[in-house]
Amino acid sequence: MKRILVIEDEQVLREELVLLLQNAGYETLSITRFEDVCAQMIAAHANLVLLDINLPGTNGQLILRDFREVSETPVIMLTSRTSEMDEVLSMSFGADDYVQKPYNPTILLLRISAVLKRSSGSGSNLMQYRGVSFSPVKGSLVRAGQEQILSKNEAIIFQLLLDRQGEIVTRDDLMTALWDNQEFVNDSTLSVNVSRLRTKLKALGLADAIETRKKQGYVLR
Amino acid sequence: MRLTDYIKNRAACYAIWAFALALALLFLYVFNVSWHAMAIASALLVVGSVVSELVEYIRRKAFYDGLYEAIDGLQVHSQAYLASEMVEPPDFLEGQVLCDVMRMASSSMNARVARHRRESQDFREFIELWVHEVKLPLASLQLMSHNDGNARYAQQLARIDDMVQNVLYYARSESAEKDYVIRETSLARAFSNVALKNRDELLERGVQLRTEGLDATVMTDGKWLEYMLGQLVAYSLKYAAPDRPPQIRVAAEEQDDRTVLRFWDNGIGIPVSDLPHVFEKSFTGENGRIGKNSTGMGLYLIRKLCRRLGHEVVAASVQGEWTEVIISFGKNALLDLV
Repeated sequence: MKRILVIEDEQVLREELVLLLQNAGYETLSITRFEDVCAQMIAAHANLVLLDINLPGTNGQLILRDFREVSETPVIMLTSRTSEMDEVLSMSFGADDYVQKPYNPTILLLRISAVLKRSSGSGSNLMQYRGVSFSPVKGSLVRAGQEQILSKNEAIIFQLLLDRQGEIVTRDDLMTALWDNQEFVNDSTLSVNVSRLRTKLKALGLADAIETRKKQGYVLR
Repeated sequence: MRLTDYIKNRAACYAIWAFALALALLFLYVFNVSWHAMAIASALLVVGSVVSELVEYIRRKAFYDGLYEAIDGLQVHSQAYLASEMVEPPDFLEGQVLCDVMRMASSSMNARVARHRRESQDFREFIELWVHEVKLPLASLQLMSHNDGNARYAQQLARIDDMVQNVLYYARSESAEKDYVIRETSLARAFSNVALKNRDELLERGVQLRTEGLDATVMTDGKWLEYMLGQLVAYSLKYAAPDRPPQIRVAAEEQDDRTVLRFWDNGIGIPVSDLPHVFEKSFTGENGRIGKNSTGMGLYLIRKLCRRLGHEVVAASVQGEWTEVIISFGKNALLDLV
């Protein structure tokens, strides 16, 4: 299980963030004392850090700069400031991503999983699913020499389902992932994409791969 | 300063001199002074006065004409108030008094302007701070609504966030400070952030969204651009035509020296008579009057922010059919290195 360290001084926000991450299946840690933040970050041995820019008596960007001298652990900056300068500075100090408050929770989770994937180097590799290998780069499914090419939308959908195999992925999550990739589809297009994806999986002998949960979403078995 | 004006101004004085001269001549006549002597005395007095008046005129003319010239030159930059700094005090009394008074007045005005600038700066900083603070409970609420599995509040929260954002950008557009960073920005990234933010409403209204050529990058401040695009999306939703499915088309096109972003919708359009005024402050026009609670600030802010970033923005429309807002990004805009 991936472990995420939350550094946010606003208590309510911190608790909700922790809840969000736990619901999404991450193990969480948080800091409540904002002295020597960098040392606490190092001691936490997390897989990823969510770091607020505005911290009492200190500044997330400076902490990040110190942290980067000793650790390569991915860091996503959180901020309520909407200034390009903050983003430029954060990125130049080595942040892996930058998310503004108030954040869309689904987007935040997508960014987290993208950064985690990038850092573990599995982003471009082949992914395995019940004897089928999925190449996110080519958007193809291969099983025993038989290949199905997925459209961009189908690949995005399959990727998200596969990332959260066995869990319910809501239509809202799928829609968010598609829109995040500049595919501005509507409800019926999403249904069409899912059913085409099903047909392609069926052609590979996986007719029951995607299960529909009424009013909840889809589960990849 | 014209000679006739000067003479008119001095007319009372000349009349008194003439009267005094006439009286003097009368006395001299009574005392039986020869008319030769009277003529010479009069001629000397008249010539003396004329010469001294001419000298006075020339001194004043040089000073006042210089002052006017300085003010005209400054007026071009709307800085006529700087005139007192530009003129040398002359060698005659009224001119020196004038210079003195101007200097005193302008230094008191400077102090006042400085105070107001400080106050408005303080206010702006307070607004910025307030906006950042209000985003914390907003962010908490958004997460709560998600964690509780109740998405009903999300849309209203997004509306509040939008309104808060308006305040922030209004404060920014009015500020004299440079608080933007111009760098290479992806149009696709910026627009998909905006689309995502407005996704629920776009889907609910069945908006057909099309993009073209957004893989171009432009030199701008990403946050400001997102704000402007968000405003345009909000406009398209607000002024969608009721009788047809709404469409929004966002297309970028690279030209020689610029990249042009066209934001098109098939909404109710803008009347020809309103079109030249849509970017004016508080202009609501015909569309604003049909009960859409318009503040007339959206497009005004867009143009203001565009100007500060060095972009050009124009609007085109056919009433009842479509509206298009076109933003041109210069390609060799000054690069701000961080």
